[in-house]
Amino acid sequence: MKIDHKIVASFLLFLMTVVCIVSGVEFLDMRTPDVIYPSEDLTKIGKLSDYFEELKDGSGDTDIYFFEGKEPGATVLLLCGTHPNEASGFIAGVLATENVKIKAGRLLIIPQACLSGFSCTDPMEGYPQSYTLESKSGERKFRFGSRVSNPLDQWPDPLVYSHFPSGQKLSGFETRNLNRSYPGRPDGTFTEKVGYAIVQLIKKEKIDLAFDLHEAAPEIPIINAIIYHEKSEDIGLNAILNLEFRDLRYAPERSPENFHGLSHREWGDNTDVYPFLMETCNPIQGRLRGRTNSELILTGKSPQYLAAQETGKLRIEYDAEGVPLDKRVARHLQGFLEIVNSYNEFFPEKTILLEGLPEYEDLLENGLSNYLK
Amino acid sequence: MIFWLYIVILVLLSLVIVKEMFEERDWKKQIALVMVLIPFILRIFLIK
Amino acid sequence: MSFELVILISMLAVFAAGVFIFKLPAGVSLMLASITGAFVAGEGLPVRHLVEGSFGFLEAIMIIATAMIFMKVVEATGALSTISYYMIKSLHKRPTLLIIIITFFVMFPGMLTGLSSACILTTGALVVPALLAMGMPKKAVGSLIAMAAVFGEIAPPISIPVMIIGGGVDMPYIGFTGPLLIASFPPAIFTAIYYRKKYLKDFNIDEVLEKLENPVYDQYGFKLFLPIILVIALLLSEMLFPELMFHLGVPLIFMIGTLTAFGTGNKFKPVGMLQNSLRNAMPVMAILIGVGMFLQILTLTGVRGYLAVSALQLPEEVKYLAAVIMPFFGSAYAAASVIGVPLVFVFLGKNSIIVASALALMAAMGDLMPPPSLLCAYAGQMVGEPNHFKILKASALAIFVTGAVGILMIYFANDIGQFINLF
Repeated sequence: MKIDHKIVASFLLFLMTVVCIVSGVEFLDMRTPDVIYPSEDLTKIGKLSDYFEELKDGSGDTDIYFFEGKEPGATVLLLCGTHPNEASGFIAGVLATENVKIKAGRLLIIPQACLSGFSCTDPMEGYPQSYTLESKSGERKFRFGSRVSNPLDQWPDPLVYSHFPSGQKLSGFETRNLNRSYPGRPDGTFTEKVGYAIVQLIKKEKIDLAFDLHEAAPEIPIINAIIYHEKSEDIGLNAILNLEFRDLRYAPERSPENFHGLSHREWGDNTDVYPFLMETCNPIQGRLRGRTNSELILTGKSPQYLAAQETGKLRIEYDAEGVPLDKRVARHLQGFLEIVNSYNEFFPEKTILLEGLPEYEDLLENGLSNYLK
Repeated sequence: MIFWLYIVILVLLSLVIVKEMFEERDWKKQIALVMVLIPFILRIFLIK
Repeated sequence: MSFELVILISMLAVFAAGVFIFKLPAGVSLMLASITGAFVAGEGLPVRHLVEGSFGFLEAIMIIATAMIFMKVVEATGALSTISYYMIKSLHKRPTLLIIIITFFVMFPGMLTGLSSACILTTGALVVPALLAMGMPKKAVGSLIAMAAVFGEIAPPISIPVMIIGGGVDMPYIGFTGPLLIASFPPAIFTAIYYRKKYLKDFNIDEVLEKLENPVYDQYGFKLFLPIILVIALLLSEMLFPELMFHLGVPLIFMIGTLTAFGTGNKFKPVGMLQNSLRNAMPVMAILIGVGMFLQILTLTGVRGYLAVSALQLPEEVKYLAAVIMPFFGSAYAAASVIGVPLVFVFLGKNSIIVASALALMAAMGDLMPPPSLLCAYAGQMVGEPNHFKILKASALAIFVTGAVGILMIYFANDIGQFINLF
C-alpha cells in the first residue's frame, strides 16, 4: 500500500512537534532558578545590574550576596559559577553563602557569575541538566549548565573570537566564555557586558582580594592549582605553603602575561585587586571520561582515567577513589580560607575575619549535606 | 539585531523545507528534511 | 569485550545496515544508530540528548544552506560559468600551473571560513564544469576538489580544527600561520601536480571552450561579478580584521551576497532557486544533524572516552598510529575534539604548535572518510558521480601523502619549529 506523500509529510511534522514539545519541556526546565538560603549575617542581596544598568532583569543579572562585619576591614569578592559545568565552584559559593559569619570587613559572594550559562548545556557533551544533593532540609536540586553563555543570549558565534582590547584570537566558541571576556566593554557582546559589569563591581566596591573558582579536566596540566597575578604572588605562595602544612597540595601557577581575557590576568591588570583563580579536578569535563551522568558530577569517579593514567602518556591527577564533589568543594573553601589568612598576614591593618565555613577535614567528615540548609 | 536577522534566516529556511517536505515523494528524504527542521524550530521559538 | 565496544559496534552496524541495506540517507542512518546506541547502553530513548546533539553543527548547517543558495544564484546569473571560461582561456597553455591555481582557488573559501564544505560548495562548484570539459574523469575532478577542501580547511588564516584543539589545551590561536602553511600548501601542490600528470591529457582548447556555457560578460559587464566580490570582501574583512568589522557571520554574508545578485546578470526565479538549493544541500545538512546526535550519544554512553583512552593505550613505538587513526573518525571537528586534544599531551616535549597543526591536518581528512564521507558526498553531487566511494578511492594516494606529511611534521616538530622561528 502506497501512502500519499502529503500524509507522510503531515505525520512527520506532527512527530516533529511532539519531539520539540518533549525536548522543549526539558530544555525550559533549566530556566527554573536555583534556590540559595543565605546565612543570618547577610546584609543585602544586590544585582550585577547595579554596576551596569543594561543588564537589568536580563539573563546576566545575577545575585550578589553582601556580608558586612561590624568592624571595618578588607573587602573580598568570591566569584563562583563562571563556568556552570564546574560544579565545585558553584557549590562552594552556595555553601559559603549559607554558612558564613563575618566579624570584620566585607564579603561579596556571586554564586552564579555566568547566570546565562546555567540555563542550558553544551551540545555533544551528553551532560545531565541537574544533580541532587542531600541537605538538612532534604534533597536539593542544582543546575549543571554550559561552559559558556546560552546562545539564546548571544548568537551567532563568530568563526574567530578577537578578544578586546588585546586582539588575541581564539576559536569562535570562546566568545561566550566569561573567563575570556574580561575586562569586557559596555558596548560589546552579552558576555563582554557581564565581564564589564564584574570589573565595574570590583572597582566601585573597592574589592581588595578576589577569587574565581573553577574546575578542569584531569588531563589539563593546570589542575589542583592556585593561579595568581604577579602582584598576588607573595600572598599566594604563603597560602600554598600553609596548605602544604595541612598535607594539601596546590600547584602554584603564575598568570601568563600574554594570555588575555582571563580573570587572574585582567582583574589584576585593570583594577587594584589581588586576584586568584583556583582549579579542582573534575572528570566530567574531561575528554577521556566514561559514561556521562549526574553520578559522575558527585563521585568524580571515571575508571577510564585510571586506565589512561596507567599508560603513563598523560599527566593525570586522578586516583581510584575518584574526586567526589565534597572533596572538591572542601579544597576550594580551604584554599579560599588560607589565602584570606595570608592576606590578613600581609595587611594586618585591614583584615577580614570570617567564621562559619568548614575546614577541609570537617567538610570531608560531615559531608556537604550538613552544611547545606 | 544580528540575532534577529539570523532568526529571520532560519524562518526562511524552515518555510522552504516545509514546502519541500510536501513536494518530496520519497519518505526517506522526508525524514531527513524533518531532522533538519527540529533544531531550526527550537531556535526560532527561543527554546534552545 | 568491553561494554563500550559493544555499544559502538551496535551503532556502526545499524548505520551500515541503514545506508547499505535499507538505502536510507546517511543522516537518517546516523540518527537510527544514535537511538540504538542509547538503547543498548540502557539510556532508553533520550529525546533531549538526541535533539541537543542536533544543535552541534547548527551554524555549519546554516553556512552550507546559505552558501548553496548564493552559489546557485551566481550560477544562474552566469557569473560562475564566465569565470570558469576566462580562467581556462587564459591559462590553458600552462596546464600544470592551471591545475595548481585551480587547487588554490578551491582552497580559498576554506582558508577564510575554516569549513571544508564551503570550498566544494563555492569555488569547487565553479571549477567543476571547466575540469570536466578538459577531459578529466568525474571521480578525479571530485577527488581534486575534495582534497583541496581538506587543505583549505587547514590553511591559514582560519583553521577551525586547530582552534578546537587549542581550545581544549588552553593554547591561544597565535603563531600558527607558518605551521599551517607547511601543513597545507606543499601537499596541495603535490596533489595538483599528481592529478595533472595522471588525469589531465592534452586537450583542444576550442573544444573545451565550446563545451562550457557561453560567457555573459559582454552582456552585463563588470557588475556580473559584484556579488562574488562583495562576499569575498566581507568574508576577508571579517576574518582578517574582526576588531574593526561589525560581526555579520558567514550565513548573513552569503544572504547579503544573494540579495545583491538580483539584476547583475541573467534572470532567475527566487522561490524555485531557494528550494532547489536546499534540495541539494539537504543530504549534507542531515548528515551534520546525524553526526551531532551520534557524538552526543557516544559521549553520553562513555564510548567517546573509550576511543580516546584506547588511542592512548597503543604501545609507545606505535603512538603515531593514534594520529593515523584520526581521519577514521569521519569528521574533522569530532577527531580534533575527541582525540586531537589528548594527543597534544601524548606528544608533550615536542613543539606543541607544530604538533597541533599536524594533528589538525590529520583530523581534517576525517571529512573525507565514512561514515559521513561529507566531502566525497558533496563532490559526488557536484560532478554527477552517484557513488561517492569512487571519489574516496581516487583520493587514496593524496590521502596517504597528506597523512605522511602530518606524521613527519609531528616527528620533526622541534626542527620545524626552529626553522619557522628563523623568519
